[in-house]
Formats: sequence, C-alpha cells, structure tokens
Amino acid sequence: MERNLTGAISALATLLSFAGPLAAQNVEPIKLGVLEDQSGDFALATIGKVHGIELATKEINDAGGIAGRPIELVTYDTQSDNTRYQEFMRRVLQRDKVDVVFAGFSSASREAYRPIVNQFDGLAFYNNQYEGGVCDANMIVTGAVPEQQFSTLLPYMMETYGKKVYTIAADYNFGQISAEWVRNIVTENGGEMVGEEFIPLGVSQFSQTIQNIQAAKPDFVVTLLVGTAQSSYYEQAGAANVDLPMASSVNVGQGYEHKRFTPPSLKDMYATVNYVEEIDTPESKAFVEKFHAMFPDEPYINQEAENSYAAVYLFKEMVEKAGGSTELADLRATLADGELCYDAPEGKMCIDPKSQHTSHTIYLAHVKEDHSIEFPTKWDAIQPYWLGDVGCDLTQNDPSAQYTPSSLPSAD
Amino acid sequence: MSHPSRFTAFLKLVEGPQTLGKGPKFWSLFALVLLAACIYPQFADSYDVGNNVYFFNWIFMAMGLSLIWGYGGALSFGQTAFFGVAGYAYGVLTINLGDAYGLTLVSLVLAVGISALFAAILGYFLFFGRISGVFLGIVTLSVTLVLERFMAQTAGPQWAIGTARLNGFNGMGAMPSLTIPWPGGAIVLYPDVTLYYATLALLVAVYLGLRILVNSRFGNVIVAIRENPLRAEMLGYDIRKYQLITFVIGSALAGLSGVLYTSWGNYITPASMGMTAASLPIVWVAVGGRSDLTTTLIGALAVLIVFQTLTIYGSQYALVVMGALLVITVLIAPRGIVIALSDLWPARKSKMKGEL
Amino acid sequence: MEFLYSVFSFLYQFGDAFAFLVLSACGLAVIFGMMGVINLAHGEFILCGAYVSTSVTHMGVPLPLAIIAGSVAAGIAGMIVEVAVIRPLYKRPLDTIVATWGISMIVTQGTLIVLGTTMAGSGTPFGSFSIGNYSYSVYRVVLMIMALVTLAALWLMLTKTRFGILARATIQVPHVAEALGVNTNLVYSMTFGLGAALAGLAGGLYAPTMTLVPTMGSSFMVEAFVTVVVGGADIFLGTAPAAVVLGFIKATLTSWQGQLAGQIGMLIAVIIVIRILPRGISGKILKERA
Repeated sequence: MERNLTGAISALATLLSFAGPLAAQNVEPIKLGVLEDQSGDFALATIGKVHGIELATKEINDAGGIAGRPIELVTYDTQSDNTRYQEFMRRVLQRDKVDVVFAGFSSASREAYRPIVNQFDGLAFYNNQYEGGVCDANMIVTGAVPEQQFSTLLPYMMETYGKKVYTIAADYNFGQISAEWVRNIVTENGGEMVGEEFIPLGVSQFSQTIQNIQAAKPDFVVTLLVGTAQSSYYEQAGAANVDLPMASSVNVGQGYEHKRFTPPSLKDMYATVNYVEEIDTPESKAFVEKFHAMFPDEPYINQEAENSYAAVYLFKEMVEKAGGSTELADLRATLADGELCYDAPEGKMCIDPKSQHTSHTIYLAHVKEDHSIEFPTKWDAIQPYWLGDVGCDLTQNDPSAQYTPSSLPSAD
Repeated sequence: MSHPSRFTAFLKLVEGPQTLGKGPKFWSLFALVLLAACIYPQFADSYDVGNNVYFFNWIFMAMGLSLIWGYGGALSFGQTAFFGVAGYAYGVLTINLGDAYGLTLVSLVLAVGISALFAAILGYFLFFGRISGVFLGIVTLSVTLVLERFMAQTAGPQWAIGTARLNGFNGMGAMPSLTIPWPGGAIVLYPDVTLYYATLALLVAVYLGLRILVNSRFGNVIVAIRENPLRAEMLGYDIRKYQLITFVIGSALAGLSGVLYTSWGNYITPASMGMTAASLPIVWVAVGGRSDLTTTLIGALAVLIVFQTLTIYGSQYALVVMGALLVITVLIAPRGIVIALSDLWPARKSKMKGEL
Repeated sequence: MEFLYSVFSFLYQFGDAFAFLVLSACGLAVIFGMMGVINLAHGEFILCGAYVSTSVTHMGVPLPLAIIAGSVAAGIAGMIVEVAVIRPLYKRPLDTIVATWGISMIVTQGTLIVLGTTMAGSGTPFGSFSIGNYSYSVYRVVLMIMALVTLAALWLMLTKTRFGILARATIQVPHVAEALGVNTNLVYSMTFGLGAALAGLAGGLYAPTMTLVPTMGSSFMVEAFVTVVVGGADIFLGTAPAAVVLGFIKATLTSWQGQLAGQIGMLIAVIIVIRILPRGISGKILKERA
C-alpha cells in the first residue's frame, strides 16, 4: 500500500515538473484535511475513502488543480477513536489551516468534531451514509440519508415479498433512528412490524435473535447492523437456515458483506446503495478501472469511497464557482441555486442548499445465491428532502443541531 | 524566600518519605518548570496552547489513579466510570442551567461531587466487602462497561434530563464551556490562553495538595495498608475506611478530568467509558511510575504527547510503535521511565538513591 | 409438543451461551488461574487461531485439522511471548497488564498492515436441522460438544499426565518443585502455551461463524474475563460452574428482554457474585472443603 502511494506521488511529481501550466511556480496550494479511521474497528470500510480522496486529488492535480491551485492533502489516522477526531480537527483547522476537511465515519466521530468546526467556523464534508438530520451550515454531507434509502427500498420489498417486517438494528443512534424510519414507512404503506430488535454494538453471537425472527415469521428482515462484530449475523443466520429475504440501507454498500462471507449466507439481500463497484454503467466501470490502477490491492470500492471521491470534485466545483475563493460564505453562496452538481460514477449528484445534503442516484442491489449482484431497479435524482420539509433551512439560519423524526426543530 | 520560616513550613507540608524530590534544588527546578509553563503561551500558537490544555485535562485522572493504585495498592480499572459520570453530569447541569452567573463553575463543583458520591457508594460496597487485588480491578471495569453499554443505547428522545438529551452513542454535545463571570463581559474558557492558565493553576494546586495529603499521617497509613494490610489492621487502623477515602478522592479527580474534558471539547460520549478508554489511565500511570505523584505526572504527560506525535507522523505504524514502547518500558523500566531515565543520569543517581 | 419445542429451544440457547463462555474463557482461566497473569492479549491469541485455521482451510485442509493447526500456532506464539515478555514479569503480575496490552496493540495493528482489513471466511459446515417451528445450525451443537470435550481433556491433562502434576506442583510451591528438580521455567512456558493454545482453539472453532477482522478478538474479551472472575482461580471448580450460571442468566435475559439486557445482566451478575464470593465460585468451594 505504502509503495503504491510513493509510486503515485513520484508519478505526480514527475508530471507536475514536466507539463502543465499549473506547475507554474509559487502557486499556493489548496489544503484539504483528511481525518479518517485507517486503523481500529472501522478501518475495513474507511481505508477506501482515503483512497478515493487520493485518486480524485491526483486526477485534479494532473488536470491543473482547482482554479489553478494544486490540492495538498493533510491526512491523519483517527484510529476509530473519537478523542483523536477532537485532537486532529483542532490541528487541521488551527495549525495546518486547511481550506476544507473531509472527516468521519461513525456518527459519534462526526458529533465529536462538529463543535470544533463550528467554533472555528470551518467547512467539513461528511462523506458517509448516516441516520440523517444534521442541520449545520459548517457541514456538507455527501452520503445517503434514510429518506433516500428507505422510501425506495421498503415499498419495493413490501410489494415483492409481503407486508410483515422484522427489523434488527444496532442499538445506538444510527440503528434506532433508522428503525424509526422503517417503522413509519412500513405502517404508512399498510404493512405490519412483527418484530423489532436492537443489538448492542460489539455483540457477535446471534442464536437468540435468529430464533426470535423464526418465531415471528416475517416476510422479510430489515438488517441495520453496524460494525464488524455484528456482521457475523449473516453467517450464523445462514447456518441456521433462516432463509428469509433481507433489506438494508447500510450493509453490502458499506461493509461489502457479500464479498466477505461464503455464499449463500447473503442470498436475497436487497440493499439501496448510491454506489457499489458492481454497477456496470460505463462511468462506473471507468471509475473502478482508475481506482484499481492506483490501488491494485483495494478489496472493494464501497459507496463511501465513491462519495469521498465525488466530494473532492464537488468541492472543486464550489471553489471554481466562487471565483477561486475558499471563504466559507463564498463557498456556501455557490450552493444557493441548487445547481452545484457533479457527474459522479453513480450519476449526477447535486447539493441541496437548504440542508447541505446531496441528491443521489439510488440503486437497488440484489445479492444472488452465488453472491453476485444484480440491479432490479434504480431511482434517479432522489432528493434529501426530509430536513427541508421539517424546517431546516440553512440559507436562513444555522441551528447547528441534529434532528430526528421524533425530535424535530421547535416551531419558532 | 523572604520568609524562610514560612518556606520551611511549606516544605514540611509538601515533602516527606512518600514523595520524590525535596530540598531547595528540587523546588528551584519546580519553580523553573512552572515559570516555563507560565511564559510558554507567549511563544506558542493557539493550537499548541489548546492542545496542551487537552493533555492537562487527563493528568488529574492519572494522579487520582496514582493515589488509589500507586499509594493505596488498589488497582481500579474503572476510573473512566467517574470520568464519564462527571462529564455527563456537567453536560446535563449546564445545558439546563445555562452559562450565566458562574453557573458553569457551580456545575463543575456539583458534577465532581456527584462522581465522588458515586465513588463513595461503589467504594463502600467494594472495600467493606473486602474485595481486593485483581477482583477489584474487574468489578470496577465491569461498572464502567455497564455504564458505557447503557449510555450507548440512550439515543431516543425519552432519554432526557430536563432539556438535555443524553443522545446515546453519538454523545452529548452543545453544553457551554466553563465561563467565569466578569464585570464587563463573562470570560468563556475556550481552549486557549485563559483556559491554559486556569487548568495549569488547578493542576499545580492538585499536585501540591496531593503531596500534602500523601505526606500527612493519612498518607503514611494508606502506604502502610498497601505494604501490609494485615499489619495495618493489627495496629488498629480501620483499613476499609482509609481505602474508601483514598478511592473517593482519586475518583473525584477522575471526575474533574471528565468535566474539564467535556467543557474543553463541548462533547462527551459513552466511548469515554469503554474498554480502551479504561485501560489508558493504567498505561499512563504504569509507564511513568505509579508509586510517585511526580513521576506519574511526568510519565502521563510524556505518554500522551508521544502517542499523539506518533499518530501524527507514524501513520498506520503508530499503534504498533505504541505497543512496542509499552512492552519495552515495562521490561526495562520496572519502576517507570522517569526513575529509569534519572538513573541513567549519574549525577542524579546517587541523590535519588539517597532519597529512596 | 409446543412445550417440548420451547424447552429444546431454551436448552439450545443456554448451550450456545455456555459453549461461548467456556471456550472463550478456558485459555484465560489457565493463564490467570495457574500463573496469576492477566493476559490482555488473550483476544489476539484467539485471532491467531482463527486466522491460521481459516488460511489452512483455504488451502484445502479439512476443518478439524485446520482448527488443530490454529490452536498449535497460537500455542507456539504463546510460548514465544512467555519467554520474551512474561517471564521477566512474574514478580510483578500487575505489570503484565500493561505488557500484554502492548502486545495486543502490536498484533491487532500488525495484522491490519500485513494481512489487510479482512479475511474471507470459510463458511459454516454441516447445515441445519429443524425442530418444531425453528431451524438450528448443526455446527453450533458441535461447538457445545467441543466445549464439554475441551473441559474433559483439560481435566485429564492436569490430573492424569506428568505435565499436569508438575504444572500444579510448580504453581503451588515453585521453590519446592524447583528443588525437586522440576524445570520450572519450562513448566511456566508450557502452561502459558497451553492457555494460548486454548484461546487459539476457540478462535479456530468460532472462525467459520464470524467476521474475520483484526479486531475480532475483542468481542470475546468481556465474556472471557467475566467468566474467569466469577469462577475464581480454579478452572474446573470455577470456570465450568461460572459458565453454567452466566450462560443461564444470559440466555434467560436475552430471550426475555433482548440482547442489551443479556449483556448488562451478565455484568451486574459479576458485581453481585464478587460481592458475595470475593474469591469467585472456586474460592468458596475450596474454602468449604478445606
């Protein structure tokens, strides 16, 4: 990995010194801070994010940089540890004086660094799918949120398999809020929740859960499992021959469980993703090829890697539209008309000015018995509408808060 | 120095058999270090100043553990429980009370009080149940893990105290920083120069206070209990009472760390009470040399700084190097790196030997 | 009939919890109970067993042999660790916490650097069977049997073999054993190696049912520690009964109130047991017998 990186950097250096008007001397680089978990429990899903950022940076620098300025990455390994986010967010903003920070995998890490970004009035991109609801002018979210993933996934599943639903979810904010979304959408569509179970983080043994599911006899199971320990569920459910269709907003697209477990334990898993490497559009294929050319050992290119890659381009778009300025107010002004878009490997992504979240092409990924993936359907330009609907409007005011369906902004 | 008698009286209090370092030489060095620490913000940028405050925040917990483990001989693996309780208490109190009229300072005192009360209840249960050795460590670890698991699932809106949402694994945020009421505008203690001086002053006060404590009659008794609990009991001391008081003081210091950390980053999370967080204080204290306050203070600072530096420059190898440093330290420096290093310094060697 | 189905289902859940507790705790119990060393790198020996056995399975070796290979590999790693790190620390048992914590950090991150973020699993063998409305994994029944076999084999080894007798003698009165010509260093190494091999065995056995990642050892740690502490220092009089009690509490609470209750209930049980029996279950039994 290290060697590839060095190779890439020296290739970059050669390119810069030979060609390009960009190599024009004494251009102040644009500094981009990267705080991601490259070790610890989350490393599995996040190393690819760093690589996505590195790939986009290399491409942009090769093509002349952002508004003529090269990007310089300032990367720290946050070790899946919230306190490291606090330490390094202060460091990138105060010491390294970066123009923008790309940071965070778990929601806890985002909440840990958000007060610091607010205090220094910086700009942070959170390139991860999550439970939704962050209404904060200092944050731009490029990951998918529940309304994008569940409003597409659940009606499809209920139509295809039936209306009795069982949810197992990680017992923390992401799982609980996502489960709330599932509950609301299932009942709105005339379905029935036959069970709901929350699993503490780090639990790896699921015999009882498997039995509860069998007792409730659902038509399909919604799995919102998080972390490497919890993904052992699939192997254990497969071994016990549960044999029910599954639906998820987080599995497959993030932790590539279908690559890690032996078939057929994920048979008939349906996941709504905004990207996975199996998508066979020409844009996606070209992206996968570029990615593997730079990182031949990459085990899987997940949706967060694509989000991170696209985020660099979205940021470039913003700076260029702002006439080269990296001031927060100028950058945010470019979002106002809702036309700040980028043609990502998944399709077109646009940033919504009210919530500063991103619209996505949502693909339904179906894991087949041999763990290959087919895409029965896709939905174009799905908007992150919920925050705007409940009254978050960052063009008017900045509450810097996180809302959930059961904790809405106060009426004022 | 103009009042030699007062100075001697001061020395009498803070020096003694239980602490390393004595005499004018040591205290001149101490004054020099303190002076350097005081003028440091004039030469450093605000990042470094704020970062040092962050390091200072943890030292209280380390010194508390040194008192409980190093002096009292009781290994508590769960100091983070008190850290977390105080941090959450500060969050709940300040979110409800606000930051006017010095209420954040009242909240600080209350939060530390709550963690001390919690320690008193748990400690009563432990020491009056005559739980000792490894078992004490495991019970305290279990307590902190129970708290972590419980807090992690409090994401729902039903988990609120007043207007403060506990907010589960994502952690509680948006509490105000410590604020000093001041004529002409309150001073908010953001991680910057003012907070640096405030924390430094607190650190010096706690350090000197603990030195006085361990060199007092009380300190001698707890060391006697560590050396031989049976003998201490035969001599007529109710060792349970002494152990309990030690535990409460040490845990209140962990609580103080929790409040300062929460105010520093406006954030507290259940992960601060998890397995990794719980083992870190033990590492800081063990590396520096747990049986002395000064070595604990220096060692804990050194470990914090070295680990952060490694993470900045060591990329993915940082954790490997940290692990190797721990193993090597334990193997070649049984009494902690501070004493091991000073042993390497021949001039000092004879002096240290004389003191011990 | 319905009633019998529920009884079987509860027994299955209980057996499953029991097997997990026994297998995760055995190695730790040997090292703690016989040597007084608190081994925070226990999870990494489990990791070693899991990774080695899975790699060997990928080469085409049958699973039982692969599990033994994983166990042996962990045992050898354990003996190396004992000689290099643990031996100088016998006089300072609490320092072994820091040393083994350091080893754990090195191994976890080293595995990530060398072998990447994950390893493909080998799949759970043997399929499933159905009773009433429920279907069950056959392999998990195998795990329950293996837990009992492991306990029986350990008992035979420590009471009937020369190594077992020497080990117990050395641990009880080291200087006398040494005076009688026992190579105590070798005995310590072997004992630590045995503990590590048992951890490796747990890793190998559970590898087919779990995600293989460098941090996987940590999901065994809490259960292992809890069992050992409730059990106290003696493996048979402690670990096995502790696993029965805790397995029962965990299975009951989990089926009644869900996973969180199972987890928290177990931790609270520890606090209560230690309050009543400060030296664990075996301490109580030994005291009454004495």
